[in-house]
Amino acid sequence: MQGKLTRDDNAGAVGSAALSVASLFFIAIMIIAFTANPVAIGTDVGERAPDVEGKAYNGTSWVEFDFESYFDNSWEEGNISGQWVAIEFMDTDCPYCQQTADEYGQWANTYSANNPNWNGPHVNFLASATELDIPGHETSRAEIQDFRAEYGHNFPYIDDIDQDNMKEWGIPGTPTYFLIQPDGIIAWVSDDSNEDLEQAIVRLTPQEGA
Amino acid sequence: MLDNLLVAAYLLPTLFGLLLVTPFGKSAGDSLAGRFEILSTERGRITAGLQMIVFFGFAVSAQTFWISSKISEGGNFCTSSSVFSCDDLLGNNDLNVDPLFGLSWGMLGMMTFAFLLFMVLVIKNEPDGEYTERFITFGTLITGVGILVILLLVSYEIQESKICLYCTTAHIANVAALIGFLRLRKLYDDKSAWKGKSN
Repeated sequence: MQGKLTRDDNAGAVGSAALSVASLFFIAIMIIAFTANPVAIGTDVGERAPDVEGKAYNGTSWVEFDFESYFDNSWEEGNISGQWVAIEFMDTDCPYCQQTADEYGQWANTYSANNPNWNGPHVNFLASATELDIPGHETSRAEIQDFRAEYGHNFPYIDDIDQDNMKEWGIPGTPTYFLIQPDGIIAWVSDDSNEDLEQAIVRLTPQEGA
Repeated sequence: MLDNLLVAAYLLPTLFGLLLVTPFGKSAGDSLAGRFEILSTERGRITAGLQMIVFFGFAVSAQTFWISSKISEGGNFCTSSSVFSCDDLLGNNDLNVDPLFGLSWGMLGMMTFAFLLFMVLVIKNEPDGEYTERFITFGTLITGVGILVILLLVSYEIQESKICLYCTTAHIANVAALIGFLRLRKLYDDKSAWKGKSN
């Protein structure tokens, strides 16, 4: 059996350069891998929560919403002073959102630093109000304000009528709830769970004397 | 403050490489030729300058990729309320990846400069080899396309009203490498100058 060999006079230069560059690339990647531990952005547990953008109604006016301001990257697990975030993706015309609105408002009052009977961290409640593509679900900022007032909620409602946040978060339907750690990492998602938000707060947040 | 000093560690060698690839680098090359023989010819000066430029372009790209990774981890590196805040750009999840494949700009920079470095090393070690002309053309094309990418990234900086000094250093390295490849092309077309032992 005869093999066919080809002579490449430049193989030495090419091979040596390729080896040098590949080694350099490998070393750089290893240094990055060993010194950084990037966290993916996403809506699964353990991922960093995507941004929530838009105007928010705070009870008096619609103001620019700054989701990042709710988080402290230096928070460490077990630290009771960090503030958690609970966010509900909802539609004011969704019957189940209406049914659970009272309960959501009660939880906002219960898991608050203002409640002396709660020995855990303050949980900031938020609602992102969208308009589902279903006939009869047309909404407006006025309707969102009325909904908030009707259920006596005192937390911000974010205008997501254009569904931007809903799409960014991949929300399959309303209502969908998330519980987010003080460092912005998602701790619990209602879609993956048999427990409700209240049970998740009690189970996951650090509490004094626990 | 420390992060600005670190930028200088990438920027100064890149600028020195740029000096070497331009005609203004002749006197600097001549003064160093006794120690580094390669600098005694114009071709040697340009390839040495290019090697320096693309190596530090690679290094600063790796640094931006590392900064992006640290920010996603929850840390910060060069946060500043001034216009020079790379964290605001490298930590922006909408802007720190390319719009086609979602790859980090830092990683793309690393791959591009690594390939450029490979080509420069081949040209430097085998200047009369069969790959030389092809690699000079590739290098010119890649760094030329890089100019379009730089324009896109600068538009992000204008949009955010922030400047990322690490990214700017990588952009300078790309422009300097383009100048180097164009100078190399000109020299290669003049066969006598390309083969010249000294100038």
